[in-house]
Amino acid sequence: MSSLQTIQRMMAEQFDLKPEDLTPDAQLDSLGLDSLSVIEFMFTLEDELNIKIANDRVEDFKTVGDVADIIDKIIAAQKVTAV
Amino acid sequence: MARRVVITGLGILSPVGNTPEEFFSSLMSGHSGIKRLQTDFIDKLDVRIGAPVGGFDPADHFSKTQLTGIERFSQFALVAAQQAVQDAGLELGEAEFGRAGVCMGSCQGGVGTLENGYRELFQRENPRIKPLTVLLSMNNAAASHVSIKYRLQGPNITYATACSSSAIAIGEGYRQIKHGYADVMLAGGTEAMLTLGAMKAWEALRTLAPEDPDDASASCKPFAKNRSGLVLGEGAAVLVLEDAGRAVKRGAKIYAELAGYDCSSDSNHITKPDAAGQTRTILKALHDAQLQPQDIHYINAHGTATLAGDIEETKAIKQVFGAHSHRVPISSTKSMHGHLMGATGAVEFMAAVLAMQHNAIPPTINLHEPDPECDLDYVPNIGRTDVKLNAVMSNSFAFGGSNAVLIAKRFKP
Repeated sequence: MSSLQTIQRMMAEQFDLKPEDLTPDAQLDSLGLDSLSVIEFMFTLEDELNIKIANDRVEDFKTVGDVADIIDKIIAAQKVTAV
Repeated sequence: MARRVVITGLGILSPVGNTPEEFFSSLMSGHSGIKRLQTDFIDKLDVRIGAPVGGFDPADHFSKTQLTGIERFSQFALVAAQQAVQDAGLELGEAEFGRAGVCMGSCQGGVGTLENGYRELFQRENPRIKPLTVLLSMNNAAASHVSIKYRLQGPNITYATACSSSAIAIGEGYRQIKHGYADVMLAGGTEAMLTLGAMKAWEALRTLAPEDPDDASASCKPFAKNRSGLVLGEGAAVLVLEDAGRAVKRGAKIYAELAGYDCSSDSNHITKPDAAGQTRTILKALHDAQLQPQDIHYINAHGTATLAGDIEETKAIKQVFGAHSHRVPISSTKSMHGHLMGATGAVEFMAAVLAMQHNAIPPTINLHEPDPECDLDYVPNIGRTDVKLNAVMSNSFAFGGSNAVLIAKRFKP
């Protein structure tokens, strides 16, 4: 299952954004999230989803959909490792 | 030739008011912002009083996203700067950005953020430090946010000289304009250190006044026989300093001329105040202002209500002012707004500037029985309105021995 909805909810909550604006192709910078906000959000994601996001992934976070895709891949990889 | 510098805008968030008018009116009515603190760590404090900023909701000024990256001490500075810029009607043209700057004082910067980080670090097995900890807590964050907001591309400097930080920030901002490096400077100070770690550290130093058993708001008693130390406060004050020629040309409202400043060191002891060093600083500030002691009509004292501090300051004033020392009204407004550390010099200089503007002198409250060694006119308990003030002085004498004195006078074109 995609983490998109979870990410939309967390993003709306953390940055006081309207959920309807957080479409998968919405650009993070046009939502007012600069690179520092993204770093803060990565921290929240790591905390709440109990995952580890590599430092070099920051650059890949361009849209809301990108974030969901990356998180999905990380969760899938962690499951494989756990097995 | 050195240029003249005027004050054209004021902004403040303080324990006794969140606009210059409210602040000064509280001081004149002897209203104290000192109270029993309401925090979740109150049980860990021996001294449970402070002077917090009241009625300040960050959400009124910043979005949730902005707040992720702006610490409380920077929030204070930004709000005070906004008031000052609006008050001054300041509009900078594209070509002027490089000629405008910011000087800010802060002792402890984002100490609250650092403490949260340490709590996590020391208490949890797998500590997680918030990513923006460095950017939130660095001492120059406040000045930098102000610089970014108003596109101030000239000097952006933060001073950390304990209790004189923001007096020095204002004085150094004045020098930037006076000597031609800038035309406009936003100058002041900010502090938000009513935190568990900072308060416990001050407690340990045994300089904090205990809570007055009858009235918490009367706990700070400068120059009184029963004085027992300082009360920590928080807040920010920012002034717009401007080249006099520029201000006159644009028809700005001018509060006063910033006429004199000096900073110099006791070079004596890390905490012990020193009348000789203070005397030197006052004399040099008077010289810079080209004024005689008798020209000063009001002194806003450093007046921390520590045992040694109030006596040494009294000695220094006597040394400089001679016979006039008994005639010049002196008050310590710290009795009401507490000691705002890195913001206190700016808050108190603003009190002095407003005193001159209103021809009114705020009192030293809680002064019922003076210390025999403090025998000057400290305007006890009741402010004065039957006065005409043409020049005022504000003293700031810091731990570490960094003294600063600022002098403002009525502006005559």
